Amino acid sequence: MLPLDGMRVLEIGGSVPAAFATRWLAGYGADVARSEGPEGALERDEEVALLPGKRRIAASDAQLRALALAADVVVEDGRPGALAARGLDPLALRAEKPALVVTSLTPFGQTGPHAGFEATNLTAHAAGGILSVTGVRGRPPLANGANQALKLLGLEGFAASVTAYLGALVSGEGDWIDLSAQECAAGMLEFHGPRSAVDGLPSPRLGNRTTAIWGLYRCLDGFAGVCSLQRQARALFEGMGDPELLTPRFLDPMERMKDDKELGARVERFFSDKKKAELLALGLKQKVPFGAVMTPRELLDSKALAERGFFDEVATEDGVARVPGRPFLGLPWRAGALSAPGADSAAVLRDWLGTSA
Amino acid sequence: MKRLPLEGVHVVDLSMMWAGPFATHLLGEMGAEVIKVESPRAWDNVRTLFPIPGPEPWNASFYFNDYNREKKSLTLDLAQPRGRELLLALVAKSDAVVENYRADVLDKLGLGYAQLRQARPDVILVSMAGFGKTGADRELVGFGPIVEQMAGLASLTGYGDDGVPYKTGISYGDPVGGIAAASALVLALIRRRRTGEGAWIDLAQRETMAQMLPEAFVAASLRGEEPVHRGNRHPTWAPQGVYPSEGKEQWLALSVRSDAEWRALCEVIGAPELASLALEARRARHDELDERIAAWSSARDGAVAQEALQARGIAAARMLDSDSIHWDPHLLAREFWDFMPHPRMATIPQPAPAWRLVEANPRPRRPAPLFGEHNREILCGLLGVAEAELTELAAAGVIGDVPMGAGVG
Repeated sequence: MLPLDGMRVLEIGGSVPAAFATRWLAGYGADVARSEGPEGALERDEEVALLPGKRRIAASDAQLRALALAADVVVEDGRPGALAARGLDPLALRAEKPALVVTSLTPFGQTGPHAGFEATNLTAHAAGGILSVTGVRGRPPLANGANQALKLLGLEGFAASVTAYLGALVSGEGDWIDLSAQECAAGMLEFHGPRSAVDGLPSPRLGNRTTAIWGLYRCLDGFAGVCSLQRQARALFEGMGDPELLTPRFLDPMERMKDDKELGARVERFFSDKKKAELLALGLKQKVPFGAVMTPRELLDSKALAERGFFDEVATEDGVARVPGRPFLGLPWRAGALSAPGADSAAVLRDWLGTSA
Repeated sequence: MKRLPLEGVHVVDLSMMWAGPFATHLLGEMGAEVIKVESPRAWDNVRTLFPIPGPEPWNASFYFNDYNREKKSLTLDLAQPRGRELLLALVAKSDAVVENYRADVLDKLGLGYAQLRQARPDVILVSMAGFGKTGADRELVGFGPIVEQMAGLASLTGYGDDGVPYKTGISYGDPVGGIAAASALVLALIRRRRTGEGAWIDLAQRETMAQMLPEAFVAASLRGEEPVHRGNRHPTWAPQGVYPSEGKEQWLALSVRSDAEWRALCEVIGAPELASLALEARRARHDELDERIAAWSSARDGAVAQEALQARGIAAARMLDSDSIHWDPHLLAREFWDFMPHPRMATIPQPAPAWRLVEANPRPRRPAPLFGEHNREILCGLLGVAEAELTELAAAGVIGDVPMGAGVG
């Protein structure tokens, strides 16, 4: 039995945040009906990645309203007020069906002076703070790849939706969830956020090297990283085989900061003539976190991910795509197929409303 | 007041650092009772990661205190039999356990899923090691930046002219894994309502991170595409970038998504001679357009420029840094920053729940706990330990309210 068997989800709007949020809902068993967003709301590759397992419908606003009231959760990523303008005001829907959960995903939330702002992944990312600490000094701040502001909003949308749905199962009362991409990011600035709150100084962009032993370096066949805590520093230095590092100058955390630049140069040299696999093996041996920069192609060939059955296969017009499947092990998941836009309208209207289009 | 969705859910939190505590913080915000368990000999390292001047630095850490609100603190040395016994007694009264130890640690402590199930047959265990409990990479040790590298995201991030991949400026794999772990626990609770069965979630943080770039796997599997570093540019629209604003390290992000927006931008920045450029020309002359935009933006306050561009329907945002974000008028108007006092730390703005349930309106309810603050309440009140035993437990180091040998790091 899938965890979300019997759950009905209506996705309205359907750009990356809503499509991402409902992708996991569909995989874990919910019946997701996706009402297409505007032309080009998703790139083709995003459709292949985010739409498997969903039913795709074309419906009038009146039909959408009826479907919303037949759903357990509505997930939407339109502008604030857009749903209400279509006769689907979240509070009105909730008044009619108290158990309903409506999840609204927007760049800045439903209220406040910037709620109506135009936004893209980049501008939402800039407003959330993570951009300010990514990249190097002397160059502009750098957005990380693959539209993370939108993905994060989708991920939080999934998690908040299932949580509110559980609440509705227990108490019969759903809620309207107002998620803002800016707030999702602003609350995860690691130590940067609270430290700046204490001292009023913004964190600088430190590029790939927070400290010498918490950084990313060039190696023989690409790039590899190390993230050593103080308690792992000795094991790291022993693994590097450099006796000078096993002195108080580098072992003591406060002393080490004075010579961090020199230490960085030593780590850089150490990495420069080793391969990624060698460094990973050393990390394993020393129980120190080492990593390697892997590309999606390398990951598709990863033995570990294959052993854990990470990827699903999705048939497309261009061949079989491999996409991330179940997010974690331990609960049953279903790989889904891609449907065509509007292909499932009649079936959804029949199953949810007992009517035909 | 409307009930929060996870009221009545009891969670034992064995997690440390950031990913696990981020997960249990979310659960606490949604109403769960979270008991954070640390050992007097092996406490959550985040308490002492940065030097904090003054007494009890482990209780005064701004970093720890931001991500451990809504939790109670119990200390138990799980390496000692009595510590394990008390933990299992606590598990018997709880719905779920969250742990982010290295993959082999819980089993070595004799507290694996099988043992937890003996204490509570329908327990939900969420394990969230960097690379999971199975598979060829299971023994690797991972923190957020490592996870980001090993999951493909770093390979997609870069300026484009130096071939260098970049890590995100925060340990991004941690909160991503944390959000996923919180959702996994909730899914398992939903399933348990229907089946009566518990679950063991084996979450690999690398895999939840890889979920954040699914389209890159489509491109790689269908067409063999290798990562392209685009800096801040968009694959289709132009121009898009992060441009300097007036002042030190002040920046403005903007995106032009259509010809109409481009014409509006040209009016705002006083470049009418460029207004007729079509998309292809804008893409071809992106460097030049960047210079024109930067010449305009660098002479203007970011907030003022943002308003001027938004007034013309152009997506633009002043970049907020880790300080200015606390003074953003929009976040302040939404009461996103909360000013709850903490007994060992100056009051600072801390994030309120991002999951805004409009009706239940979750707000911060309790500050991060002091080390071992709730030992008596939990041990005597919940588990029925005699008061007299508390002294013995403290003497044996099973419990404590001061980490043993706490330094920096």
